[in-house]
Amino acid sequence: MDFTVFAQQIANGLVNGMAYVLIATGLTLVFGVLRIVNFAHGEFYMLGAYITYFVGTLFGLDYIAAAAISAVVVAGLGVAANKLIFWPLRRDHEFTILLSSLGLALLIANGGELLFGADPKYVESPFADEVLDIGTVTLTQQRVLVFAAAVVALVAVYLFIRYSRFGKMMRATAQNPDGAALTGINIGLVHTYTFALACGLAALSGALVGPTVMIFPTIGNWAVLKGFIVVIMGGLGSVTGALFAGLLLGVIESLGGGYISLGFMEAIGYAMIIAVLLWRPNGLFSTARGLR
Amino acid sequence: MNPAAQEILAVSNLTRIFGGLTAVRDVTMTVQAGEVVGLIGPNGAGKTTLFNMLGGSLPPSSGSIRFAGTDCTGAPSHVMGQRGVSRTFQITSLFPSLTALDNVRSAAYRTTRAGWGASILRSAAYRREEAELRRKALEILAFCDLDHRAETLADAMSYGEQRRLEIAIALAAEPRLLLLDEPAAGMNPEEGQRLVEMIRRIRARGVTVLLVEHHMRVVASVCDRLVVLDHGVKIAEGPPAQVLNDPEVIRVYLGREPVDA
Amino acid sequence: MNTNSHGYSVGQPLAIAGGIAALAVLPFLAGNAYLEHLLVLWMLYALLALSLNIVIGYLGELTFGHAAFVGVGAYTSAILSTQLGLPPLLGLPLAGLVAAGFGLVIGYAALRVVGPQFAILTLGFGAILFTITNHWVDLTRGPMGITDIPPMAIGPLAFDSARPTYYLVLALVLATAYLCHALVSSRTGRAFLAVRENAPLAASLGINVFHTKLMGFVAATAIAGIGGAIYAHYIRVITPDIMGVHNVAALIIVVIIGGRGTILGPILGALVYIGLLESLRVAGPLRMVIFAALLTGTVVFLPGGLISLWQRWRNAHRSENNLPATPTGLPPTGLPSTEGGAK
Repeated sequence: MDFTVFAQQIANGLVNGMAYVLIATGLTLVFGVLRIVNFAHGEFYMLGAYITYFVGTLFGLDYIAAAAISAVVVAGLGVAANKLIFWPLRRDHEFTILLSSLGLALLIANGGELLFGADPKYVESPFADEVLDIGTVTLTQQRVLVFAAAVVALVAVYLFIRYSRFGKMMRATAQNPDGAALTGINIGLVHTYTFALACGLAALSGALVGPTVMIFPTIGNWAVLKGFIVVIMGGLGSVTGALFAGLLLGVIESLGGGYISLGFMEAIGYAMIIAVLLWRPNGLFSTARGLR
Repeated sequence: MNPAAQEILAVSNLTRIFGGLTAVRDVTMTVQAGEVVGLIGPNGAGKTTLFNMLGGSLPPSSGSIRFAGTDCTGAPSHVMGQRGVSRTFQITSLFPSLTALDNVRSAAYRTTRAGWGASILRSAAYRREEAELRRKALEILAFCDLDHRAETLADAMSYGEQRRLEIAIALAAEPRLLLLDEPAAGMNPEEGQRLVEMIRRIRARGVTVLLVEHHMRVVASVCDRLVVLDHGVKIAEGPPAQVLNDPEVIRVYLGREPVDA
Repeated sequence: MNTNSHGYSVGQPLAIAGGIAALAVLPFLAGNAYLEHLLVLWMLYALLALSLNIVIGYLGELTFGHAAFVGVGAYTSAILSTQLGLPPLLGLPLAGLVAAGFGLVIGYAALRVVGPQFAILTLGFGAILFTITNHWVDLTRGPMGITDIPPMAIGPLAFDSARPTYYLVLALVLATAYLCHALVSSRTGRAFLAVRENAPLAASLGINVFHTKLMGFVAATAIAGIGGAIYAHYIRVITPDIMGVHNVAALIIVVIIGGRGTILGPILGALVYIGLLESLRVAGPLRMVIFAALLTGTVVFLPGGLISLWQRWRNAHRSENNLPATPTGLPPTGLPSTEGGAK
């Protein structure tokens, strides 16, 4: 077995995996803290990529600025979505919330097609063309950026949840929403911040991955599916689980795609999720109530 | 109805452990056919866990359950249901968006036979069974003072009506053993009295009743026998007058919360 | 009270007969081939929606995998007729059987979990089926799809145009509608609804929740497969897109907007969907935005779907004439539709 190829596959897998982790972290936060399964989550990834594109091309801003603005804007959109849909429906049947998040996903995806056009776009980034050699492994700078920025973001999120006042409120709400409300925690605010954080992370992932692929308005479907695969493997509500599961998925896909076939690579994620859900319906890091 | 002096439920050394917590420890008790037995004890005593094991939604960690002579240890809910053990749940025991009549008809599952195929063919057996089912369902609703609400959606009914509907549902399954989980919760004294009447009439139909309850007045009026649990262990058993005056029982309750009578 | 022992109003069979008669003459009123084609599409979507309604409406589980079973049925019949020369008429029941087989396996695996986990599992399974269809070129010709599929034929009668196909699908829709009606007025259907409403309670009443769900799932996939086969023999070309996101969303939209848990709901929903899709053709991608908005709006404001509007009108009308009202959500089939439990 050629070690160089193997190492390259692993490296690619880790990079892809990190992107999945960013998407999945937001998804698992919203579920862990708010008990909401948001099918529209992938759409915020899509918006992250597109807004980066438009801010870059329409306003001529450089990539980093565009990505940052995109993350903030999409975080705001997430807050709006919460305000319009998830917060008003918070007491409703789970089925209702599921369906309305589906409706939101369709709304954003098709609205995106309407506004942005169905043809692919290319997000410009100064890092997209330059490569970096790490030992025997070659990665474009952009892909290294994906990994590095994701790590930074995740560490920041971890510290935030662990040590900040707001992070404690989120954790309290995750463990016991009624109890948290009784101690004076403003659940509405928790909703708002959680969505902002989750959607911002998804957008960041879109902005980072954007320059490495062609973007379509339909990439949200792909993103949310990956997100769910990772979240369920790692356990709904488990942030650490999402980290491991995301990297694992990325690596296995990459190895599968490299050594078996491209078609296999697509199917592997689905096969894994099915295997995991059958073996452990609550995921590998099965969750009690709470954020971990 | 003359209750045969037979044991309908025999629980032997039943234990359930959750991780580090022993919710039910070595509980042994029997229930005779036709009895109304009350299971009491402070919150967290393990009563609902015991119920969950009897109903089949929770497998015991050890010990055994015999129902009507057959070993039922670890049998899942629907098997217990098919054998004739019905239960109500602390949180909604009804089908919210169905009418009261449909709630009761759905509950009569184990008493009917004609399925989808018979319905497609509109066979004579099917039509007969459906007519009989409708009649029986209306009769049960009347028994629970709900016949005037037959066409009302369950989640549109008042709280008291819903609690009565829950019992109607449990009866529709024509159980031999009925497990009532805090049927008097949230009821005022008048409603509690109505409940006592209904439980008496249920017993008169030949159904054995085991109930978990905190309302001591209800428990004292309707139960033949009480079993007291504390921290998962049976600490007393006997007729209400005796048990409720047992100093150990009083200590266990008063030491924690006032007796709700 | 003008009701028989099942609680139906006496005028009901008459209304149903009238409705069927109206549906039967529609192609003649249509006037042109294009409208007749739309009628076929309406009936096809109605059939598929009725089958999906068994899972979403009666069992209360959201599934994203239904389009995949439609595709399985379509590809089965297409492959059998183009590569093995099997008469399409035989392909129809075989498509249903193969789809049901997939439904059995996938259902057996997926129905162990509920709610969002189940939905995601079906999404995953659906995606796998799509991927396999797309990549197994030897069997399915991949993205190029299967073309020149022979039209359905019963003996000398060829269903190679819209009008005869319409009647074929209409017959299937009516048959499925009757099957669903028979279901909900039977003990089996009551078990379905019980499982939907309160699974632990249903179990304690003797209902085997898993078997009940599996039965409904397999029935739904069988009908979906048959619908897919008919589609294949009518449109004469199929590609993996039949299992794609668009169809997945479309079927769910039809059921929800029309009214889940009812029989008229999916049929009405299909009419609205095809109608809007065609009449707003100029609007392009805006159409899907409208549907998404309708879906979300329905879920939030009108959980019973469009059919519930008609039911409310009918109840109001009854109270004016001092006729007994059926409770909101009671369709003519005798069992209530769901209001989704929304409070």
